[in-house]
Amino acid sequence: MSYRRIAVFGGVYSNYQALAATIEDARRRQAEALFCLGDLGGFGPCPDRVYPLLRDSGVQVMRGNYDVSLAEGLTDCGCGYTDPRDNYYAALSYEYTFRHTSEENKRWLRTLPDVLRVQLGNYRLHMCHGSPRQVNEFLWESTTPDGFLGKLCGDYEADVLLCTHTGIKWHRRLPDDRHAVNVGVIGRPENDGETHVWYTLLTADPDLQVAFIPVCYDYEALARDMRQEQLPEAFVETIRSGWWTTCLEVLPGKERARGRW
Amino acid sequence: MQTIPQAPFHNLHALWFQLTGTLCNLACSHCFISCSPTNHALKFVAPETVYRYLDEAEAHGVREVYFTGGEPFLHKQIIPILARSLRVAATSVLTNGTLITPAVADELASLAATSRYSLEMRVSLDDVNEARNDAVRGKGALRRALRALRLLQERGLPPIVAVTEYFYEAQETTPQEPGGGSGFYQKFRDFLLENGIEKPRLKVIPVFAMGKLHPSETGAAYVTPGMMHGFDVATLQCTKSRIVADGGVYACPLLVGEPRARLSENSLSESMQPCSLYHTACHTCYVTGMTCSNY
Repeated sequence: MSYRRIAVFGGVYSNYQALAATIEDARRRQAEALFCLGDLGGFGPCPDRVYPLLRDSGVQVMRGNYDVSLAEGLTDCGCGYTDPRDNYYAALSYEYTFRHTSEENKRWLRTLPDVLRVQLGNYRLHMCHGSPRQVNEFLWESTTPDGFLGKLCGDYEADVLLCTHTGIKWHRRLPDDRHAVNVGVIGRPENDGETHVWYTLLTADPDLQVAFIPVCYDYEALARDMRQEQLPEAFVETIRSGWWTTCLEVLPGKERARGRW
Repeated sequence: MQTIPQAPFHNLHALWFQLTGTLCNLACSHCFISCSPTNHALKFVAPETVYRYLDEAEAHGVREVYFTGGEPFLHKQIIPILARSLRVAATSVLTNGTLITPAVADELASLAATSRYSLEMRVSLDDVNEARNDAVRGKGALRRALRALRLLQERGLPPIVAVTEYFYEAQETTPQEPGGGSGFYQKFRDFLLENGIEKPRLKVIPVFAMGKLHPSETGAAYVTPGMMHGFDVATLQCTKSRIVADGGVYACPLLVGEPRARLSENSLSESMQPCSLYHTACHTCYVTGMTCSNY
């Protein structure tokens, strides 16, 4: 089956408010199908709330590192952090999410694919979480070279690579009308001082058009739930300020320089 | 005789250059390759050689490039070399920071601003206490490194501070909630914040019992075949990086100049073969999960 317009998002991070707003926005923009590139839990409150939204809306979901960890009962989220401060907060978040995700939803995660292949017009899309070669590889804009992306497109027989995992969106046009897109995340703002989150709309018209769509949602309601659940105040601050306060140490220099912390 | 385990080669994630051989303006007491102002054992790598390997690495889909030494800022062509490298991939320089003057910092900031890829400056320190740090790195080393950190930060280049566990035990790096705790990691973060480094970035590195810190004859540890069972070999950085130095292409930044770690005299492609885990340094990487990369 070939699509003309699809919506793709990643990193839900238990942000059910943003997920509901994203689904509604994508439908309004006439996306024929919605795809989620994984990491349903982590960071936000009440992780079970996102599952019915995804299933009832027919979103096609694949697994990220967080989902693999929850499904397999692993002891950490497998985000791939190397800094102790990043890992401190990641451990808090994972422990909470693991404890509050139902067995039914963990079983459902076990049924999800690790890769999605989709035809969009004339373009072969390869959807992954981190990178095609490693679920938790961080593809930041400033550390992902053209040569590397070209090689991945060749190795994985793709015209368009789609990934998430880092939390910051970008689009790179490569030679021969190939593309790499980090679709961003809808679970937390992208460290720019704005409270909205982002998803990606791809249209084959017939040339590929990539549009990043900002999504406003009730972040104060989410913040109230986060406090109710006694999640770290540092996480609440990110949702309310748009600046990352944790999991910062993995940022490359260019991306780190743009943020407040 | 026991078989020596090997690490397969998976992909070229990182390419390293030991740009200035064993020549350094400092003579740190724990240096794993005994660099000093008088150690000419390994020579500089010529710019043309760097460019040839960068081209080859780009074709292999390299993700990151690192320059180390010795002290890379002793190389007179460091700025054009970095400019060329930044056209290929994100580039990091491992430096003691003492040669980063305002003029050099200006040039680095200009390179970073005009590049699509990140330029990372990784400055080494050993302690927040001046006397203890300088006992390892030489008189004035801490103050000069701090000057470099400030110069870089003022120009929008948040530096990474690399710290060895020379004075501290690994368990002291236990993460602490910001503002709390007294561990080694928190101590460095606080020190950098107090000195105006607003976005402190830390890279903690274990000490390797080699170079000036020789292992004792009886205490040396090696990777054995039995240790490879159930071990995720992909955690070893020699499965995804190579280093160009005087004499050819080596498996590991710690083993430059070692004949048994040299995988080719002049070809990156040829070096992409399994390497032997024969050295005590291999044991340290195995045990600690150490990577020389930034993350």
